[in-house]
Amino acid sequence: MTNPQDPHAGHDHDHGHEHDHDHAPITADATPGYYEIMEMAVTELMIERGHIGPGEIRRQIEVLDSRTPALGAAVVARAWTDPGFKARLLADGRLACEELGISFYDDTQLIVLENSERVHNLIVCTLCSCYPRPVLGLPPDWYKLKPFRARAVSEPRKVLAEFGTDIPDEVDIVVSDSTAVVRYLVLPLRPAGTEGWSEEELAAIVTRDAMIGVVSVTAEKEAV
Amino acid sequence: MTDSILDKVVPALGELPRFAVGDEVQVIKRFPVGHYRVPQYLRGHAGRVERIIEPAAVDNEEEGYGRNAGGKLHYYRVALPMPSLWPDYLGSPRDELHIEIYESWLEKK
Amino acid sequence: MATEDFVSRLPNDIGGFEAGSVMRVEHQLEPWEKRCHALADVLDFKKLINTEEKRKGVEALGETLIGKLPYYERWIVAFSNISFTKGFFTPTDLARKMQEVETRFAAEDDARDG
Repeated sequence: MTNPQDPHAGHDHDHGHEHDHDHAPITADATPGYYEIMEMAVTELMIERGHIGPGEIRRQIEVLDSRTPALGAAVVARAWTDPGFKARLLADGRLACEELGISFYDDTQLIVLENSERVHNLIVCTLCSCYPRPVLGLPPDWYKLKPFRARAVSEPRKVLAEFGTDIPDEVDIVVSDSTAVVRYLVLPLRPAGTEGWSEEELAAIVTRDAMIGVVSVTAEKEAV
Repeated sequence: MTDSILDKVVPALGELPRFAVGDEVQVIKRFPVGHYRVPQYLRGHAGRVERIIEPAAVDNEEEGYGRNAGGKLHYYRVALPMPSLWPDYLGSPRDELHIEIYESWLEKK
Repeated sequence: MATEDFVSRLPNDIGGFEAGSVMRVEHQLEPWEKRCHALADVLDFKKLINTEEKRKGVEALGETLIGKLPYYERWIVAFSNISFTKGFFTPTDLARKMQEVETRFAAEDDARDG
């Protein structure tokens, strides 16, 4: 699947950090690196100049820490057990999340993509790393790196196979590429063998990767 | 009585969506220098409007240059068949790509 | 390849390009990375530097730097560049402040090591 615009087609091109990403081990007294110093300096300058308040970064860190895949899992579990909620979720994802107390701290909207026996959904951001952060937290590195971003739109079935997910040909794949104001969340198929489970039990098996669409949900306890 | 008054309401330019759900649209073949948000793999390709994103919004390409308000148009969720985008597409011919595209990048097919 | 293709194609526009297998790498964010992400959110919320301006700023780093710098490193360099353009602070302001921060940490290290 070569894009004729691809200047690197035909050779093995290593984009340095695109392939591996070594981080210095974090120790309490580690000397900050160049970019960390830059980050601290930029923040201090912006506060000194009165552009941002002294507590605003700290508060936003708390916001971010409160956003994890468990929120998305709660949304999915509610949709699986409450048809009225599911209908509202599919009509307006952001509004339905706000119903559950999941505020959206930015200007994004949310479209929830329902998997079915006929359709399997996958989300990607080829241009950068758009991701439904208010409801899933921060994306994994692989979602932001070239292999997934380049190939999810052009060979989704092969990419899914790399995650161990085999979608038969009778099931259509829809890949949603985020570019603007809308973010996506996959509503996975509820697996067989979960009849009568509580919302909590259901949420526990819904993984982040299932809500991205690279894997399906299985009726095994212990979400990752 | 009020029907004729309501019929005479004139919307502003760009206020109402230009395209409707189900419309066949084409991504304009345009290659701007600078910031853009319509990937090159889409340029010149055709698809079907799946959804109109409401409300009208700022052009994100202009946002990149600091425009935070004004000049709003609609985004459309457009469905494009995968085989039409990729010559050797490996998968079902019914697979689709869905993407949000700003009104200024679309024309009726 | 004609040069205009390089001029009109953004370095991040890679949909459909060839690439290797997906390696399922992920890492816990380091504290500075999380602070950097929070900074981005605050700057966008206040429309000091909106998210699209940030994206454009990262694109403006160019293919080489984008290939060499990891994710949050790209953000903070882009924020610095945009801040210079918008007049929030100058390159000299930043250089001086970075030196001040570095000195502060060195002093703490000295104090700790006794």
